[in-house]
Amino acid sequence: MSFLEIDNVNLGFGPPTSRTEVLENINLKVKENEFVAIIGFSGSGKSTLMNLLAGLQLPDKGEVRLNGEVKGAPGPDRGIMFQNYSLLPWLSVFENIELAVRSVFPKMKKAEVEGHVMNYIDMVKLTPARDRKPHELSGGMRQRASLARTLSLKPEVLLLDEPLSALDALTRSDLQDEILRIWEEDKRTVVMITNDVDEAVLMADRIITLTMGPRATLAKEFTVNMDRPRDRHTLNDHPEFMRLKSEITAFLFALNRESKAENKDEFIPMPDVQPKDFKLPSATLKFKHLNKKVISPSVGSK
Amino acid sequence: MKVLLVGLGIAQQNLLIKFIMKLLSKIKYPLLKLIDISGFKVLDPVVRLAYKEEPQKQVRDIILYMVLPIIFILFCVLIWNWAGPNHKTKSGEVPTPAKVWEAFQDSWRFDQRENEKEEAFEMTGVDREEALIYVTGELAKLKEAAASLQVKSDDVAIEVKEQMDAKIRPVQVRLDSLKAAIKEAKAQRKAQLATYSEQLIEGQRGSDSLVALIEEHHVIADTEKVDLKVVNDELNFIRDNPPERLKDAQLAANKMADEVQHYKKRIDYLTTGNREIKVQMLEEKAAAAAAGLTAATTSEDAAKQAKGVVSNTEKAISAADQKYPRAATIFWQTWRSIATVFVGFIIAAVIAIPVGIMCGLNRVVMACLTPIISIFRPVSPVVWLLIFQIIVGAFFPDPDTHPLFMFMNSPNNPLAFLQTNPAMVFSACTVAVCALWPALVNTALGVSAIDKDHLNVAKVLRLGFWSRLFKIIIPSSLPLVFAGLRISLGVGWMVLIAAEALSSSDGLGKFVWDEYQNGSSQSFANIILACFVVGIIGFILDRFMIVLQRLVSFDDGSATA
Repeated sequence: MSFLEIDNVNLGFGPPTSRTEVLENINLKVKENEFVAIIGFSGSGKSTLMNLLAGLQLPDKGEVRLNGEVKGAPGPDRGIMFQNYSLLPWLSVFENIELAVRSVFPKMKKAEVEGHVMNYIDMVKLTPARDRKPHELSGGMRQRASLARTLSLKPEVLLLDEPLSALDALTRSDLQDEILRIWEEDKRTVVMITNDVDEAVLMADRIITLTMGPRATLAKEFTVNMDRPRDRHTLNDHPEFMRLKSEITAFLFALNRESKAENKDEFIPMPDVQPKDFKLPSATLKFKHLNKKVISPSVGSK
Repeated sequence: MKVLLVGLGIAQQNLLIKFIMKLLSKIKYPLLKLIDISGFKVLDPVVRLAYKEEPQKQVRDIILYMVLPIIFILFCVLIWNWAGPNHKTKSGEVPTPAKVWEAFQDSWRFDQRENEKEEAFEMTGVDREEALIYVTGELAKLKEAAASLQVKSDDVAIEVKEQMDAKIRPVQVRLDSLKAAIKEAKAQRKAQLATYSEQLIEGQRGSDSLVALIEEHHVIADTEKVDLKVVNDELNFIRDNPPERLKDAQLAANKMADEVQHYKKRIDYLTTGNREIKVQMLEEKAAAAAAGLTAATTSEDAAKQAKGVVSNTEKAISAADQKYPRAATIFWQTWRSIATVFVGFIIAAVIAIPVGIMCGLNRVVMACLTPIISIFRPVSPVVWLLIFQIIVGAFFPDPDTHPLFMFMNSPNNPLAFLQTNPAMVFSACTVAVCALWPALVNTALGVSAIDKDHLNVAKVLRLGFWSRLFKIIIPSSLPLVFAGLRISLGVGWMVLIAAEALSSSDGLGKFVWDEYQNGSSQSFANIILACFVVGIIGFILDRFMIVLQRLVSFDDGSATA
């Protein structure tokens, strides 16, 4: 039996008369300690799928099971790491994690809590910044803090909702390595959502594509048969990496074309308009000429 | 700096200087941050200039943001100085800045004197005796000075009188002769009228000529009146405008006489008016009565003496608790106003914040309260004051024995310094009800506008209602709550002054109203002085709230300007 299961889930928005189905017939089985990446274009319902896994949204039909148990409301067993960090801005890094630890492990003693929190702050290498507030941190550091908070809950499943998409390329690769290192040290089930093929191939055991929304559903699966640890520097020469990358990209483009073809009748032709040139002759911009010449848009169009 | 360090060796000196330099460079950024938090951004270039950071830019900033505003303020003061005396009102001319400054100094002196008298009233034992000797000595000197000033002033008065008489005499002569001439002319006209009337009766003249004559006489009488008024005015002008030096001399003499009066009063409070002495005297009376009681021979006498023992002991006890009956100076009134506004403001905050949180959390509460807020928010403070005077006033028909005031003013209560009284309760309630709305609306807004991500965090952590409220919702809404409280305090301060004027609750509003009513020579200047005090205190309160607001806001404070 799979560890994490999504069973025939449907989810939509809006009133019954004009309902938009976002996700339809989602079936997903994740093994224990597996790293799964879900990849799709933006707007395809990736975040909705993540909210569903976390329990922040409930399915209209079907169910989400963890360890055979049906899951509803959100809880610390499914630790989610949000795209926009979601750190509480009035608390320092330490306090943010402390709040999480205290509320999830209420029986822990004070010294234990501190040790636990510091352990995870060390793990994401934020020890020097433990007493800083989120607004004093860079984006990468904030995401590290967010990761530490999520990990400190000791979740059974780690849900990563495009965790790195708000970061610049360098910080991003740095954090990818960091997440992988932590995962290697402390194996657990991970579901990551991403829109970056390289990232998915680098990190995941299995990559699942999501079709274009609305009525998005899970499409083809790709298994990544590459040894770990994977070295990003030699990866570009790896034939398996190149093959997967091109296959996945090709598949995604095909999906995109298909959905465009499907929605062809909705295409509204735009009138061919050119922006009007409002640029003023340079002379009129000088102040001394202001009282002599009348400025009007028509001056520019001549 | 070197001068201060004479005792040290060169090496130690250098070390110390280095240390101080290091310390100075360390406090630069904390200092700038402090300036930023307190909202006195104007001082920023001054500090930077002191650290020689881009001096040209700092000098430019100082000129732009400090020197130019100061010049503009001086310009405004000049306009005031010029325009004020040109506008004559029923309460005299509009006081100049110098007069207002004088009023401030007088108020200050008045306050100092009250302090001195209070000190004298409360002095005991050797201190009192020493003070008495000192004050008596000072008084003797002052009396001498006052006498000489009085003599001087009298001399000046005599001299001035002679001068004025010399000026008046020729005018008086002119006036007298004019009056005589007019009297004569009047008699002539009367005679003329009599002859005309006779001639009319005898048929020698027509009635028209008589009417014409009377008209002519009226015109002449009018011109005579005008002539007389001109000379009279001239005379009055001389009389009403004695030379400045007389005024100055009289003023100096009066001031000194005032000072003498004050020292006499101080001596009074150091002797018979002193609290300790009063208590002693009453105790002595009680002891005498007790002695009389043991020696009493008749039943009537015994009863009388016993009564004397009891009443004098009671009086002694109450005298020991007595406070100096301080006169209400503008400074005392200011402090009263501040106390009242904070009482009202705290009531408002205590109501507004929980209700605002409920509004923000629950749509039904919001829907129920929105119409109430919309209707009562625009109601004028004056209406509220009257309503509170009626409604709240009904709770304490007899304030002296009401438990609330007994409790608030009991000596053990830490809030006894507020000296709560019904008028203060009314004003505080009015402040509270007017200051309620901005805090309430902002709190509701802050709670309902909480970031959804933060709520998701709470969901994932499965926080209970209370920890969600105290750990997520309240901290996240604090900046907006404090923004609301800041507006509330500003509104409260404005409302309070009006409420005090109307309800005669002690405070700046009452001060202004009293000054308006009593109409002494300085009251107009005092009103303008109060205007500045109200403005400056309001400004300080606002700054105070800005600092609080910045301390609770978790971003870099950019949201609050």
